[in-house]
Amino acid sequence: MNDPNYLKITKQVERSGILFSVAQQPETTRVFTGASDSKIYAFDVMAEKPEPVEYVGHESYVTGVVLAGKYLVSGGYDGRLIWWDPETRQQVRSIHAHEKWIRAVQATPDGRFVVSVADDMLGRVWDVENGTHLRDLQGHAARTPYHFPSMLYTCAISADGRYVATGDRVGHNVVWDLHNGEQVGAVETPIMHTWDPKQRIHSIGGVRSLAFSSDARLLAVGGIGTIGNIDHLDAFGRIEIFDWQKGERIFELVVDTHKGLVERMAFDPTGKWLVAAGGCHTGFIAIFDLATGEIIKHEKAPMHVHDFVLNSTADTIYAVGHGQLVVWSVTA
Amino acid sequence: MPNLPHNEFCGSPESVITRRGFFGGVATGAAGLTAANMTLLDVLQEPAFAEELKIRDKRVILLWLAGGASQLETFDPKPGRPTGGPYRAIQTSVPGVQVSELMPHLAQRLNHTAIIRSLNTHIGDHGGAATVMHLGRRSEAALKLPDLGAMISKELVRADSKVPDYVNFYTATEGRYSGVGTSGFLGSRHAPMFLTTESKPENLTRLESVSAVDHQQRADLRDLLSRRFARGRQSAALASHNEAYARVRGLMSSEKLFDISDEPQSMRDKYGPTLFGEQALVARRLIEAGTPFVKVSRAWWDSHGQNFETHLELVSELDVVMSGLVDDLQDRGLLDHTLVLTLSEFGRTPKINPSLGRDHFPSAWSISLTGCGIKGGAVYGKTDDDGQTVVDGEMGAAEVFATIFSALGIDHQKEYHVGSRPVPLTDPGTEAVAEVLA
Repeated sequence: MNDPNYLKITKQVERSGILFSVAQQPETTRVFTGASDSKIYAFDVMAEKPEPVEYVGHESYVTGVVLAGKYLVSGGYDGRLIWWDPETRQQVRSIHAHEKWIRAVQATPDGRFVVSVADDMLGRVWDVENGTHLRDLQGHAARTPYHFPSMLYTCAISADGRYVATGDRVGHNVVWDLHNGEQVGAVETPIMHTWDPKQRIHSIGGVRSLAFSSDARLLAVGGIGTIGNIDHLDAFGRIEIFDWQKGERIFELVVDTHKGLVERMAFDPTGKWLVAAGGCHTGFIAIFDLATGEIIKHEKAPMHVHDFVLNSTADTIYAVGHGQLVVWSVTA
Repeated sequence: MPNLPHNEFCGSPESVITRRGFFGGVATGAAGLTAANMTLLDVLQEPAFAEELKIRDKRVILLWLAGGASQLETFDPKPGRPTGGPYRAIQTSVPGVQVSELMPHLAQRLNHTAIIRSLNTHIGDHGGAATVMHLGRRSEAALKLPDLGAMISKELVRADSKVPDYVNFYTATEGRYSGVGTSGFLGSRHAPMFLTTESKPENLTRLESVSAVDHQQRADLRDLLSRRFARGRQSAALASHNEAYARVRGLMSSEKLFDISDEPQSMRDKYGPTLFGEQALVARRLIEAGTPFVKVSRAWWDSHGQNFETHLELVSELDVVMSGLVDDLQDRGLLDHTLVLTLSEFGRTPKINPSLGRDHFPSAWSISLTGCGIKGGAVYGKTDDDGQTVVDGEMGAAEVFATIFSALGIDHQKEYHVGSRPVPLTDPGTEAVAEVLA
């Protein structure tokens, strides 16, 4: 039985470099993580001495890994999506999927579709089985209002596989119908993007994480609050939760114990709590009560957390980040 | 043609610098040589004058990347290394030379640019580092030293110039007073016109309460009285007084140089839509009109957090602005006379910190020099595979300054005198980097 009050670290694995993305093989303690050295590593994280197994094929940071059907699908800053046989480590398919960096990859729960988002400001829907590009999710502006390149950082797919949410640099978030590519909703979180027109004349921030509640009614948008000195990630983590179909903001949550970007979020399947993690020079993990909006539990993480996965029973969190892989238990 | 004072131009872009430079040179460097009946050819055949003329035709535009731009995301990429970051290196127009993929436009123009990849300037705080990169040496408590702009102004200015000698744009507030322009012992004549909140000088506009006719008549009256007063008198102070009035009138008439509203959209598009681009376009207008030194500061590059996002914004902008500037100068026949520099106070650490940032790094970083006096496509110096140390051609700010002066044809060992103390343009024993000089 999960209980967020009992959040604790049960395993730490140190790694050189930066781990940007993680996927967990269901019902196991095997994880796949995408890294800054262009490789994917598979570990049994609970082994006494986890031995990494390499998957070599990307040519830049690997920022998305998902298990979809019988495949492992990864995306990276090289703009490629690669389908892997997770057991043989052989590439099944490699596609030049985007003209710019792929920032995130997600799969529908049934494993039939994969969505990638990239700095070409496109979401793209792919058929997992044959690699066919099915449609584009197009609507995010290529440039910020201040004439700089925008970035499309993140996406999430609802548990029923119907909706895709995408979030960009300036805080524009769109919900799409995955099956026809039509925009069905949009919410704005402009506070997550700090444009400094006077002191430093550039910007920082952006929407870094999205999550649907299990019934797809709520959409959580994660990032960072307004930053005074944009040389640093010098503001508290920020989450806004919307009833997106009504266009109503339900909560504004501030991780007021820790500074940095909210890089990843997940709803507890029962809808009682939301877990968020991220960081700046240090990292954090925080769990919010969705009845009150209050923080139930927060901890300093051993690293800036770039990604995590909450397992299907919502009692274990597999997190990766700057030089570390960490397992948290959420049980008494 | 740009909207410039017509009496400054004869027509073709190619002739602009030659004609202006020639008459400017006649009026100043070799004023003592000229005689009423001397033909242009006679003047040009005078070796000392011809050399002076060549030097005084030169201009400098400094793109000051305030806060510390990353060499790894610009001129010294290390793709595939743990320190290299996510950007690829791309081939340039110079075989074998690569730069960051964030600079695709500059990459195609690198045949005009020399890269120095081996600066070790030792100072890692913004203020101290900016000072060294402005003075070419450490500051002194007992003597106010002139900065690069002031020295260039001193060396290249025409005495009768009606335009500002040294203009410094710095619109962002962060770092504005680190390494701020100073003429030091060279005096206020070479101090920068320092533009902060506006891209055009304040208080140059004629008061609305004074009509143009009244304004001219007042000047004429002042000239008349001054000439009467000067009869039978010989006074340096008097000459200086008159020169000051003439310069004020010149500066007032130069106000339009700062106004790019009449530039065609196609020209503005070359420089891009940002303030940095607009100021670079003004810089070109100023140097075309005779201003010897313009510094366009682009702040703030201090990317301790989110280095790659910051550099995606700022390097992408630099790529457009600088390539637009290079193209424009070349189209106008000015590139051979104009040295375009990218300098900063230091580079950024190869190590990527947990905020995906890079920190201050003076130990192994890069600059670029483009155009006048530069061997385009040259690459000098080398860092190790991870960019941690200089392994070949280590140099400091003094060598940078010597190279800049040499590119302009100025003897960097020349001495100024403050009282009886000789002060050379660069510290004794400093050598220019011959490998990047044309």
